[in-house]
Amino acid sequence: MSDGVKTTAVDPSAGEDLMAVEDLSVHFRQRRKVARALDGVSLEWRRGEVLGVVGESGCGKSTLARAMLGLQETAGGEVTLHGNEATGKKGLAELRRRIQMIFQDPYQTLNPRQRVRAIVTEPLIVQNVDRSEHTERVRRALGDVGMDPDRFLDRYPHQLSGGQRQRVAIAAALVLEPEGLICDEPVSMLDASVRSQILAVLLELQQRRNLALIFITHDLSLAWSLCDRIAVMYLGRIVEQGTAVDVIESPKHPYTQALVTAVPVPTAKGREDRELLKGELPDSTRVPAGCRFNPRCPRRFEPCDKVDPTLIDVGTSGHKAACLLYDPAAAEGGAPAPGYSDTSGEPG
Amino acid sequence: MSLLEVKDLTVTHRGKPIVDGVDFELNRGESLALAGESGCGKTTTALALMKMLPEGLKQKGGIVLRPPGVEDPINVHRRTETGMQVVRWRHISLVFQGAMNALDPVQHIDDQIGEVIRLHERKVTGKQVKARIDDLLVTVGLTAKLGKRYPHQLSGGQRQRVMIALALACRPSLVIADEPTTALDVVMQAQVLQLLESLREELDLSLILISHDLGVLAETCDRIAVMYAGRIVEIGSVETVFSNPQHPYTKRLLDSLPVIGGRRGLAPPIPGGPPDPGDPPGGCAFHPRCPYSTDRCLEDPPPVEVGPDHLAACHFSPWSSWPEVEPQKVRVDA
Repeated sequence: MSDGVKTTAVDPSAGEDLMAVEDLSVHFRQRRKVARALDGVSLEWRRGEVLGVVGESGCGKSTLARAMLGLQETAGGEVTLHGNEATGKKGLAELRRRIQMIFQDPYQTLNPRQRVRAIVTEPLIVQNVDRSEHTERVRRALGDVGMDPDRFLDRYPHQLSGGQRQRVAIAAALVLEPEGLICDEPVSMLDASVRSQILAVLLELQQRRNLALIFITHDLSLAWSLCDRIAVMYLGRIVEQGTAVDVIESPKHPYTQALVTAVPVPTAKGREDRELLKGELPDSTRVPAGCRFNPRCPRRFEPCDKVDPTLIDVGTSGHKAACLLYDPAAAEGGAPAPGYSDTSGEPG
Repeated sequence: MSLLEVKDLTVTHRGKPIVDGVDFELNRGESLALAGESGCGKTTTALALMKMLPEGLKQKGGIVLRPPGVEDPINVHRRTETGMQVVRWRHISLVFQGAMNALDPVQHIDDQIGEVIRLHERKVTGKQVKARIDDLLVTVGLTAKLGKRYPHQLSGGQRQRVMIALALACRPSLVIADEPTTALDVVMQAQVLQLLESLREELDLSLILISHDLGVLAETCDRIAVMYAGRIVEIGSVETVFSNPQHPYTKRLLDSLPVIGGRRGLAPPIPGGPPDPGDPPGGCAFHPRCPYSTDRCLEDPPPVEVGPDHLAACHFSPWSSWPEVEPQKVRVDA
């Protein structure tokens, strides 16, 4: 690529963690059933890194983002920021100042009765930033997202286009000068030309300010083109993670392989042969026993419905997959079968 | 002989053109992609083909349909509302955008499909209707027993399949699918697209597929029409348009798309946003956003034949090469 903005070349095997989650679980109670939306997720997010979290809807990717910011009660596990556990009132306030989040729908996330000025100033008020700095910081945040403050400060959200609203949402997230920004499907509601503008704004910030980004997306092409590393989620677990090149060009987990082949390619030739996954993502109140992907897996073999695979190295630079194909020891009965657990009686 | 011929189709709202002089033909068994960003007039074009425009929108221009087995061509543009009722669903049907909102939440699936069949075909017995419903559900990859469910008991992918079954209920020769996979995940999307493709072969359907997702269109369609501000700016076979785009808008749009396994990173985005529907800039509507525009672009560009069955509406077409574009500062123009 000669004329584009380059993605950064962060060495994926090195770098200091900005945030890390360890064995994080989130359970939702539905009457007598328990949905295991997150079921033991461990993930590192390094400083200045662009990390992609991909998967189908219902796989737990948004729940992961919410749990990372303490917006979601967890059933277990821990979240750390710069190595310190982020809990308690003080820890959470610190976390939410350093890590910000933007959401999918720029039509619903902005208060329709507030002007852009008030929307972008609000985080400063919440975090007790000195009043004298407000005007200057709000103007700078708007400038950073490519909006002329003089034209937009006094507008209401309904006077903005979809792309402009998403820029305002980003400005409101940036005004606290965070170190990390979690973007939950930031462009999936925007048109192609506006979409690439928003992505360009985010990437420019990432480069200029070393802002770490998480892209939560179902769009694998997007994750491929922007992210340093990608984590693939299925039914509340990370099933594969590694550098974008490793995960997309040589996917190891059968689920990742199926996802990658399912993506339509906008080229003259298209994709010729494709083996499609059958069925749909199961309900997270009924997680299959053994490997949770086994009922849909084209490559399942005998122990798959008994042994629950863990993430193991399948390559260099941190390429990991949770699949028994690569873990002969576990497949031969090394690991005990957790079995299908009806979680109805679980206290919570 | 073409199945559908659209000539100078124009849709106006209070005198402002939402769709402005759209021409195309569609052969039997062929699939045509209508691509473009929101507000470019894709859905309006589709609704105009069925004369189903919402109140306040007026359409002009010729729409001629020649369904197999029907002797005289149907002049859709001359038909009255009553006259259209025997054309809709019998000859042209529509898979609506957003399956959740298009299905009746308080009716069983089979009742909804049965209603369509009974409305459009007077001489059918209850038994025949039942058999047809079961058959349709199986055709779209569902089981007949799902007919006894309500829409909310189905997943997004299943609902979209029901929408396709509804469109096929009266065996039309042309199906228009408006963003049929937009709300679906990649895996489900691939399944639905595969279904549409196999149905087209099996039933010898012609298909007009509307989407903003060029990847989806590239994989499903034979030809593609790229729309911008109510006009077709480029039309041709999918192979030629994707490998050799001849309109700057198509070119920039294709360049800005992330392609899995292709080049990584982000190409310079197209500055600004699409114009408001009905209020495009004069001349070539793309000129304010076009890196190659000159004073000549203030005049209307006529469609130029740039290759066999490949038209582009740009003064400078055909382009033999595309000059390098400076990455523009990303600013909001609107």
